[in-house]
Amino acid sequence: MRSEILSLQEKMKKKEITAQEVLKSTLVSVHENQEKCNSFVTILEDAKVNENGGILQGIPYALKDNFSTRGILTTGSSNTLKNYVPVYDATVYEKLKQAGAICVGKTVLDEFGLGGTGTTGHTGVVKNPWDESRQAGGSSAGSAAVVASGAVPFAIGSDTGDSVRKPAAYCGIVGYKPTYGMISRYGLFPFASSLDHVGVLTRSVMDAAIVVDAIKGLDDKDMTSFDSSSIHLAENLQNGKLDSKKLFYIKEIADISSYENPSEELKDALSLFQKTLEQAKEVGFEVYEESMDETLLAAIPSTYTCISCAEATSNLSNLTGIIFGPRGESRNITDMMVEHRTKGFSPLIKRRLIIGSYVLQKENQEKYFLNAQRVRHLIVDKMNDFFEKYDALILPCSSGGAKPLEGELEVLNKSSMILENHMVIGNFGGYPSITIPNGLVNGLPVGVNLTSKIKSDASLLKMASLLEEKMDIHYELGGKSL
Amino acid sequence: MNFTKDLIDDLASKLLFELSDEENKMVLDEFEEIERNMNLINDIGDICKIEPLTHPFPLESTVLREDDEVFELRQEEVLQNAQDKNLTSVIVPKVVGE
Repeated sequence: MRSEILSLQEKMKKKEITAQEVLKSTLVSVHENQEKCNSFVTILEDAKVNENGGILQGIPYALKDNFSTRGILTTGSSNTLKNYVPVYDATVYEKLKQAGAICVGKTVLDEFGLGGTGTTGHTGVVKNPWDESRQAGGSSAGSAAVVASGAVPFAIGSDTGDSVRKPAAYCGIVGYKPTYGMISRYGLFPFASSLDHVGVLTRSVMDAAIVVDAIKGLDDKDMTSFDSSSIHLAENLQNGKLDSKKLFYIKEIADISSYENPSEELKDALSLFQKTLEQAKEVGFEVYEESMDETLLAAIPSTYTCISCAEATSNLSNLTGIIFGPRGESRNITDMMVEHRTKGFSPLIKRRLIIGSYVLQKENQEKYFLNAQRVRHLIVDKMNDFFEKYDALILPCSSGGAKPLEGELEVLNKSSMILENHMVIGNFGGYPSITIPNGLVNGLPVGVNLTSKIKSDASLLKMASLLEEKMDIHYELGGKSL
Repeated sequence: MNFTKDLIDDLASKLLFELSDEENKMVLDEFEEIERNMNLINDIGDICKIEPLTHPFPLESTVLREDDEVFELRQEEVLQNAQDKNLTSVIVPKVVGE
């Protein structure tokens, strides 16, 4: 089974290479990636090999810059925190240290995770390593770009809508978001707390399993975390068996006949998806077509918009510039905060916060915010019904490859709006959800997504691994075999 | 809803930030479409009796825990992020009497 983490550790064990040499060569690759893609807010030149001897001993990685790291600049890719040095470690960072992993840098994101393009970070846009004129996707843009470039075997991201899984698809790598609460969010800057997940970006399913095994677990500092000590992801990948392999897809999203005047790119993407379904059948999966009410499907993106933007207005209210962050120069304390936030937030984050403000106005709360939460309930109930019958939902991640950097900003009125946004279902229900690469469309990587019922992470990864093995995709990028 | 520049500015001011004319125009120009899309939620029909879902699934953990001190911030570390401070405090502007 493919695993760069295990093969690197094997080499270190056989003394073919030392951890010090791995780190040194990683930092060189990281700089090359920074030059090309602008993936990093901070590169940790003085990163050191630790001797903690855990399951990630000597493995370098990159961490999204919305995870708190004591003594290391952590900006959330926002000017509001451009000089903020945290005073505590995120649980994920702490656990990775204990496991022996070495953080080599903090990666760029869409400001505080509120974006899906990788273009709104305060240090500039992140470019896709496959084609520098294209987005890496977001919000875990830098984490995806650096893993895809081959510089590190894994990176940590966060996923509120599809912020790990979408950039993973656009960069041709694996993106996995476990069940809500399986990984502690202590120290992750919150965006929308009822939807926020920690996730990982890797180049194989096995590596995703190994990393999540190291960072999952109950944490007293996060009341949404749960005890997952009976879940052994990597071990199950190697020795576990699947009792059942029933996949379903939603016709209205994945069938080309559901689209009027589809583009050639969309046709290619959905045709590739059909090929993936055939490959799944060849390795023993049963594949079923299901249908969902189109009115309910059409409401998915807006349900996400209302809930996430509303929760964000609250979560970002602590950014005042008084206790931390660059302070406004006004004498009056309110004006001081206004100046800090006006100068600090980018136009696109302001746009989302205004939507949040609008849906929370007294006259709009019932109509938009509470109804969005009700629709969320309907969608989750529907999915839970599906998961009674099937083991996982399988769908394409997008209507094609990464979008050009030059072009329209976020728009909601595309015919492929649901196809582009369905992965938020994984956040609505807290379901484990994984994206794996399934080929190229117009020379750019695309992904297929598998989502299953809560706490079925081990079998989800097993299914993804079977499909990964069957598709056997090996990309060549920048001279490196991924 | 009739969206105006003033309405957008008011929504921003409630969140303690201001918009440039360009930023206001960006939001204003697309707000009708944003609302039209948000109204897709209300096409679903009679949903008022459905319980709003605030979390993905019921949480197992209890909010109560032992009243032990488990972590404390170091004063000097906290203060290093503040722009204006003295030995033990963050200095803030006068908030009354102006």
